Amino acid sequence: MAVLEVSGLCKSFGETLAVDGLGFSVGEGETYGLLGPNGAGKTTAISMIAGVLGRDGGEVRVGGQRHHPAGRRTKAMIGYVPQEPALYPDLTGRRNLRFFARLHGLAREEAGRRAAEVLELVGLTGRGDDLVGTYSGGMARRLNIAAGLLNRPRLLILDEPTAGVDPQSRNAIFDAVRRLTADGVAVLYTTHYMEEAERLCDRVGILDGGRMRAEGTRRELVALVGERDQVTLRAEGDLGAAVRALAAIAEAGEVSEREDGVELLVRDARAVLPRILAAVTGTGASVGSVEVREPDLEAVFLHLTGRALRD
Amino acid sequence: MKVWIIAGMNLRRTFSERTNAFFMIAMPFLMIFVMGLLFGPGQQLRLGVAGGDQGPLARDLVTALTKGERVAVEPFGGADALRQAVERGEVQGGLLIPAGYDAGLRGGGGAEVRYLSRASDLRSLDLTAWVRSVVPQEAAVLRAARLGPFDESLAAARRAEAPGVEVKVSTAGEAIFPEGLGAFSVSAPSLVLLYTFLSSLTAAVGLVALRRSGIARRMYATPTPARTLVAGEALGRLFIALAQGLLIMLGSALLFGVDWGDPLGAAALLVLFAMVGGGAAMLLGSLFDKEGPVSSAALIIGMGLAGAGGTMVPLESLGETMRSVARFTPHAWGYEGFAELVRHGAGVTGILPQLGVLAGFAAVLFSAGVWALRRALIRP
Repeated sequence: MAVLEVSGLCKSFGETLAVDGLGFSVGEGETYGLLGPNGAGKTTAISMIAGVLGRDGGEVRVGGQRHHPAGRRTKAMIGYVPQEPALYPDLTGRRNLRFFARLHGLAREEAGRRAAEVLELVGLTGRGDDLVGTYSGGMARRLNIAAGLLNRPRLLILDEPTAGVDPQSRNAIFDAVRRLTADGVAVLYTTHYMEEAERLCDRVGILDGGRMRAEGTRRELVALVGERDQVTLRAEGDLGAAVRALAAIAEAGEVSEREDGVELLVRDARAVLPRILAAVTGTGASVGSVEVREPDLEAVFLHLTGRALRD
Repeated sequence: MKVWIIAGMNLRRTFSERTNAFFMIAMPFLMIFVMGLLFGPGQQLRLGVAGGDQGPLARDLVTALTKGERVAVEPFGGADALRQAVERGEVQGGLLIPAGYDAGLRGGGGAEVRYLSRASDLRSLDLTAWVRSVVPQEAAVLRAARLGPFDESLAAARRAEAPGVEVKVSTAGEAIFPEGLGAFSVSAPSLVLLYTFLSSLTAAVGLVALRRSGIARRMYATPTPARTLVAGEALGRLFIALAQGLLIMLGSALLFGVDWGDPLGAAALLVLFAMVGGGAAMLLGSLFDKEGPVSSAALIIGMGLAGAGGTMVPLESLGETMRSVARFTPHAWGYEGFAELVRHGAGVTGILPQLGVLAGFAAVLFSAGVWALRRALIRP
């Protein structure tokens, strides 16, 4: 069941069309990544979805209900984690959480309990009574996420939560997201890091210039643009014969000899790999190592937009 | 309920900040004290006295100087210590009685009393005038004592009541500072107005930070209606202004014995003036996108209006033109209202014109502030 359904979402700032007819859905327990470069319209899109920015057109449904900025019932189902830690630096982490919990409608005692729970969830129990201003960047971002979890959301919206954080904090954030999706929370995750989208997201929507260029699983996206896997074999022996043997494989293309082996492009290398190895060893050559490089979302983005993700 | 939670958070954060604690708590009381000394009526003048052989004639001179309880005498061990105290302003003047003062006078000779005063110090000049009037009177009595046996003649001279001109002072119309008004009763009301407004404006920086940090958006992302969010922030501004005003009023009553007069009138003035300050703060915090310009504007506007409105120097000491200009500031109306309550014992009905004008200022500024804040916090 879709927790979030977005269709025809539009937003303009003056003459600039920031989001143009965006549509997608996120299911229960699914992590959906909105991937795009800076200025692609990701933050504008999720601000409208979170209900903190009005929209010019389109519809957002959360938990099957129509959602709009004044929608208190639907907002109660959403946890919003903005890009920069939106917290009072002169208050402790715990007091920040209690304050936002009260705004979510929790009673004083319940707010205190829930603050302790989410601090535990993001691994900040020991620092909960320290001022947020003394936190490292990574800790502040983890607390930022904790504040988005106070209302036990069905939909968690994370706007580039790992921008500028250390690897340890990044892994902690990933772990927290995985635990949440395992519990059935739908996660909408924006990033301009291709690696993150590949590692964390079940499905990815590629956003550029405010428009959705393509969406699907990583493999679906790769298949969509016809990209092939690159297989590199380090081998010794008659490499010319090996090249000829590989060229005879129907799925193989652009087979070439290298100084220390051979290289070829092939669709779905994992499936064809046994035949590739057999073809090379069949010529009497010995294979030292095999490297398979599957096309990544960077390549997909390049194919779709004609420019790199970080241009 | 959420309105109170948001407002309470604003108040707590404002007063828990260390620099705010200094500027909003310590500074106003320091200013009340200083301005009370500068502009307040009836403070005691301190006269240092050194030297002399502490004989009865020297004591008579000192007693004559302290007549009327306006002058307090502080003894000093020597001329150097006395000079230093005068230079530092610890006393407003110093009297050096020469050694052998009594013996010299009893022997028919003269005695030269030296007086040290501070240049360009109004209170020192005041004391000098007093000393210059008392010392010749004492000299006249001593001269009379030489006409016969010294002690008998001295006693007779002191008993004698010479006919003279009696000067009675009375005030035409209404006294600006009525008799018996404490020094701090003049300075405290001015500073309530100055600090209530200034603290409100400087706390407007928090509104900019609220927007810039994304906290406002996060608050709006919760199931909290926009009107609740704006009401909470607006009430927070009002609370900050009220807390600042109340702090000075209660503190000055306890520490300096300021009598604020009719409590209902004082409360009405404070609430209306806090609304003026809160409204101005919301306007200021909504107009700018960065904290720096807000701080600068807060200081310029806060001090400018305070100066023009008669809360930095008494309104009564301003010229006619400036007093007309002051009419356009809420400070002047607040000042007049408090002056009526504190100095002339007026009740709430006696300050209705001032309350009316302040209510007008409050209605305009607070409404405009709420409107601007809503536009700044909630983007369409």
